[in-house]
Amino acid sequence: MANNERRQGRHSAGAVNSAMSDERRAEVAAQRTSQLSASLPVLDVNDMPEQATGIPVITFDHVSKVYDAQPDKPALRDVSLQIYAGEFVFLVGHSGSGKSTFIKLITREIVPTSGRITIADEDLGSMKAWRVPYLRRNIGCVFQDFKLLPDKTVFENVAFALEVIGKSRHVIKTQVPEVLRLVGLQDKLNKRPDQLSGGEQQRVSIARAIVNRPPLLVCDEPTGNLDPQTSRGIMDLLERINRTGTTVLVATHDREMVDNMRRRVIALDRGQLTRDQDRGVYGFDV
Amino acid sequence: MSSLLYFIREAFKGLARHMSTTVGSIITIFLSLLIIGVSAIAGTIVQNIMNSIEDEVSITAYVSDDADEASIQAMEEWIGGLEGVSNVTFTNKDQALEDFKASMSSSPEIIDQLDGENPLPASINVELSDPQLVSDVAASIQASEDFVAICDNPDDPSDSLKYGQKTVDRLFSLTNTVRYIGYALIVLLVVIAFIFINNTVRLAILARRREISIMRLVGASNGFIRGPFLMEGALHALIGAVLAIVCLELLRNFALPMLTNALMWLPITVAGSTYVMVYVGLLVAGLLIGVIGAFFAMRRYLKI
Repeated sequence: MANNERRQGRHSAGAVNSAMSDERRAEVAAQRTSQLSASLPVLDVNDMPEQATGIPVITFDHVSKVYDAQPDKPALRDVSLQIYAGEFVFLVGHSGSGKSTFIKLITREIVPTSGRITIADEDLGSMKAWRVPYLRRNIGCVFQDFKLLPDKTVFENVAFALEVIGKSRHVIKTQVPEVLRLVGLQDKLNKRPDQLSGGEQQRVSIARAIVNRPPLLVCDEPTGNLDPQTSRGIMDLLERINRTGTTVLVATHDREMVDNMRRRVIALDRGQLTRDQDRGVYGFDV
Repeated sequence: MSSLLYFIREAFKGLARHMSTTVGSIITIFLSLLIIGVSAIAGTIVQNIMNSIEDEVSITAYVSDDADEASIQAMEEWIGGLEGVSNVTFTNKDQALEDFKASMSSSPEIIDQLDGENPLPASINVELSDPQLVSDVAASIQASEDFVAICDNPDDPSDSLKYGQKTVDRLFSLTNTVRYIGYALIVLLVVIAFIFINNTVRLAILARRREISIMRLVGASNGFIRGPFLMEGALHALIGAVLAIVCLELLRNFALPMLTNALMWLPITVAGSTYVMVYVGLLVAGLLIGVIGAFFAMRRYLKI
């Protein structure tokens, strides 16, 4: 964990932020958040020393994304970072800061305007279109709105993910109950999504994301629709998944969650990477 | 293999889900294929009839009893050199009488009335390689002075030429018109069938938007996402084609015999192999319409 210490030493701004007095906090809140963020160091992949531990699962190398609809307001601006195998990373930022763009770039729903993205040694820029589905089989995705099929049961929803990538019936019959046991829904195999609570639905969606055992799990606001207690349950589950060796990336608004869990935090503000620290906190004032 | 089963299952589900549009696209495909099939078979029948008439499309030039053999021979050679003439033969008076007797064998009293005389003229029989040239050849013969000199009725040389011009002309123009109307109708129906398939597949895509987005999310391959829709288009087309074939079989077994009985003098016969060819052609054409229609719909509405 040598690099953890290194990163923490480098980016103490978040810690300073959390140590601020209430007075100071109010003052900062009055200011524009971007000014706060601008005072924080901007990371450049190039001035990082070579990683001694592990291989990067995700590498962003000076990535920018400009949408056609807003040509003068880039969604991501010159973002460079690396995420390593087995890490648990929070991606924080206000609405419109580029979190969703970041995630869509990883699953190659969109391609960067400039820069290079590498996922597990594969350059997404030069990836052929027909390879993209195979990339996505290695990335589990969880969303705020669960994206479950309403006319399928819990079992069928999870089985669907295996079915459509051509897994045999035997594999489906063994893996689906197993993963549903892992997320704690072994008793609700035959319920339909509208018979479940929000937290349970999100567990189904997580089960679907990991049933194919992807090395990378990407979650976009997984607790956005859930109450704090349910959210904690979901986060515990994500942490448990992370402990099995899966790299987990969670984009979130949930300040309490980030502050409690003390994991690596990547902060985006208006498309720029403003902070990257281990054992970080949410950092932004609301 | 299992994904093929999955595609078929999904295609049938889609079929049940959008019954009205499905029925619409199946019916349009069925109708266009039926019309194509009927035209193909009717075309074969007409072709057969035409062939039998064309066999009879020859020109008979009656020659005067006084004409000398040398000029008849010269005439024969000259006609043989005309464009479109395949064969020239000469029938003398005795043969003409024999032929007449043979054709009138069912009413011998007419022959008795001849009282041993032979009123029939000798004739030059011209067979044509291309029946469409009948009137051209006849006009050339009629215009020839040598022919006027030896013909049976020098006052009106056209009277000495016999050919089924009018029948043939009418038949040709009729079949051509029918053929063009048939083509136009087929094109129109195929276009409508395309539009229907396109629309049905579009609805199927819209109905499964969520599923498609999840399939994409979990990494289903593009072929796997497209498969059910292609299968749905193909399925509609196949059902339409099978209906058309069933319908044609019914026509063949019930309507055609009635037609044959009503028009005994026309050779209305179609070989079994023709039916097989038409049916195979309909299946292939239907599949093409279905698959291409579905493909266009996917190009427009299914972004992968």
